[in-house]
Amino acid sequence: MIPDITQQGKPAQTAPQPSVPNAPVVYFQGVSKSYGRIHALSNITLGLTGGVTGILGMNGAGKSTLFKLLMGKLRPSAGEVKLFGTNPWKNPAPYAKVGFVPEHEKMHDWMTALDFVSTFARLHGMTRQEAEREAMRVLDFVGLADVAHKEIGRFSKGMRQRTKIAHALVNDPELIILDEPLQGCDPLARTTIMNVIRELGKLGRTVLVSSHILNEIERITEQIVILHHGKLVALGNLHAIRERLDQIPHTIRIVGEDARNMAKDILDHPAVFGLRFPNETELLIQTYHFGELHAELPRLIVENNHRVHLIDNPDDDLESLLNYLAGGSA
Amino acid sequence: MSRTDEVPSLWSGLDRKAMAVAEFTVRQQRKRLSTWVVLLVGIAAMGVLTMFYIDSMTRDYEAVDNDGDSYDWDMDGYPNGQERLYGTDLLDADSHPGLLSPPIPPDDASVWVNEDDFDWDALNEGSVGYDDNGDCNVEERTDSQKDRNGNGIPCDIQLDLNRYSGTYLISTDGNVDEDPDDEAYALEAIHRSFVLAIGKLGVVFLIGIFVPLFMATGLIRQEMTSGTMHFMLAKPIARGEVFLYRILGFLAIAWTYVTLLIVLLAIVTGLAGPSEGVFRFADLGVWLSVWLAALLAVMVYSMLFCMLGVLWKHGMVLALPIAAWELGMILTTLGAPDAAILRFSVIGWAMNIVDAGAALAWSDTPLLIQMGMWGGGNGPLEGAEALDIFASTPGLNLSALATVVISSLVMLGQAAACWLLGSTLFKGKEIE
Repeated sequence: MIPDITQQGKPAQTAPQPSVPNAPVVYFQGVSKSYGRIHALSNITLGLTGGVTGILGMNGAGKSTLFKLLMGKLRPSAGEVKLFGTNPWKNPAPYAKVGFVPEHEKMHDWMTALDFVSTFARLHGMTRQEAEREAMRVLDFVGLADVAHKEIGRFSKGMRQRTKIAHALVNDPELIILDEPLQGCDPLARTTIMNVIRELGKLGRTVLVSSHILNEIERITEQIVILHHGKLVALGNLHAIRERLDQIPHTIRIVGEDARNMAKDILDHPAVFGLRFPNETELLIQTYHFGELHAELPRLIVENNHRVHLIDNPDDDLESLLNYLAGGSA
Repeated sequence: MSRTDEVPSLWSGLDRKAMAVAEFTVRQQRKRLSTWVVLLVGIAAMGVLTMFYIDSMTRDYEAVDNDGDSYDWDMDGYPNGQERLYGTDLLDADSHPGLLSPPIPPDDASVWVNEDDFDWDALNEGSVGYDDNGDCNVEERTDSQKDRNGNGIPCDIQLDLNRYSGTYLISTDGNVDEDPDDEAYALEAIHRSFVLAIGKLGVVFLIGIFVPLFMATGLIRQEMTSGTMHFMLAKPIARGEVFLYRILGFLAIAWTYVTLLIVLLAIVTGLAGPSEGVFRFADLGVWLSVWLAALLAVMVYSMLFCMLGVLWKHGMVLALPIAAWELGMILTTLGAPDAAILRFSVIGWAMNIVDAGAALAWSDTPLLIQMGMWGGGNGPLEGAEALDIFASTPGLNLSALATVVISSLVMLGQAAACWLLGSTLFKGKEIE
């Protein structure tokens, strides 16, 4: 057999198939991961197949550790991790059906988006032509077709995130894992990425997406897993835990040009029970009905012609929520 | 449907992964400034050394009167050699060949410098040498003077091979080949010394160890540290494959570089070195063995250093003592090419290959060294000692070809062992 140097040959007929049929896509059984005396994850048991699942937790809660265990980057200290029924630490074959978007910001800045996606696509056994065709397809899917020939080093944060997503989708995976895909993205990229994730869910793929912002997760999916200090504290439909969420106050932070004027228009909303002004341009709103208010805010701002730079949730807010869910008091 | 369509996809799949990772590695290295700095420093270093060589090939070597017969002790205008040839008294100004009948005109002193060059290019045991100026077989000398080495042939040189040491025992009749051409000898000996020195120490050792040290140590480690390894390892590819294909990509650069460097050196030394034609084709065998040794050394060192990079994030710190060890070993090969400790090095095997190639291409080097060390009976000629340092006999006590084959296989084995160890370490690494 002569090596296919020019890579003009026939495509590889089949990707290597994991040997266990009908196994859950993602399976954790009593998994712990510790670094010395620090417990990154303790006793996680979880099985997931199909649909979009949000993994919610603060920085350091163990979201990335969970994903890295699943991608065979880390070895569990205890318990069993299965990906399509096989042990990912020992066997890279199931990655043929997986797409992974790591949290790391560092990329190969010297490559064009097309190079980046197609080069790694060839590791799925595609020929050069196939890889380029598939890369263009997924770059189009994430809305980067027009900049496919630009170097990644010249991309904005949102474009880089979308390039990483294209890289993960190039093999048309059954399981897609996205580690903090919205972090640092501009609103446009945020919307695009959220649409992509929802789209994948509709296509029946299993999607795992992590975030430390409840609002983001809420806009993507209702099925969530909440991690706190390495423990699984809640699992299931967001509405089911909504009641419990509503019992503690949330803070929304708005940075705009004139915080006091803005406050006048927002104060009328029934969900608001408190306002604070740390400085001239910043407004902190307190509410028990977080989701409702968050949905209304854009309309209120646009109707009253306010200029707003940023809307977000301070992290301490989530921390109080998570402490509450974990069994402590808010 | 043709037969090729039915070929299973295993090999072509492997092949595609290998090409993708290797090509990626080449392009990545090409974009790095450090790559170009390392490669250019290598070329500059070899260039400086080559300038010293060009200088020694183009300068004039003083013709030394090795046997002292150009002097005219009695100041009668006739050099001693001429007086000795005609049997007149060296110390009596009133006795010289001009008083013979018919009178002989005096020679210029320069006639008696380099007048009796070596006549033993051929590697023959037994009688060699020829008394070019006829000052041996003169009537005044007794038969025992004419055949001092007692081999029954007057005015020759008897060569006896010492089969244990591989050197020749030189026993001469007096006044034979006693005033060799210093320049011819120096050019030949210095040329060979340089080719061996830059081939062994320059290309195989310095380039062979430092290019992998700077370029291969981080092949896996840098990607692990920066987090970009996640992109590659998220694909269905085993870590051992990643290790191997990264090295393949590195070798595509390093082997091309080494090859170009050797071709350049071969052209420069082939044109500048002493030769009867325009180009010294006789050296090509040596360059070929330098090339083979350099390719293998680069391969073993890159596998070794990449493995050390996987082992520890400061793999360079582990690589430096190894480089020092290899330096010690290459210095050992110059003096004691058959020392058993050399088996525990990479460079010792590489030197075996170069020495075997040199032994094939320049089979007369041991004799050339001894001719120079003897120097007509008057101590070493210029270049002889350098050649004695840099030329060594292959260390395995086997034929040259067997030495090359066995050393190459050993080095391939070393590379494979480093790859296996590196893959195993890499597989056991958790990647943050």
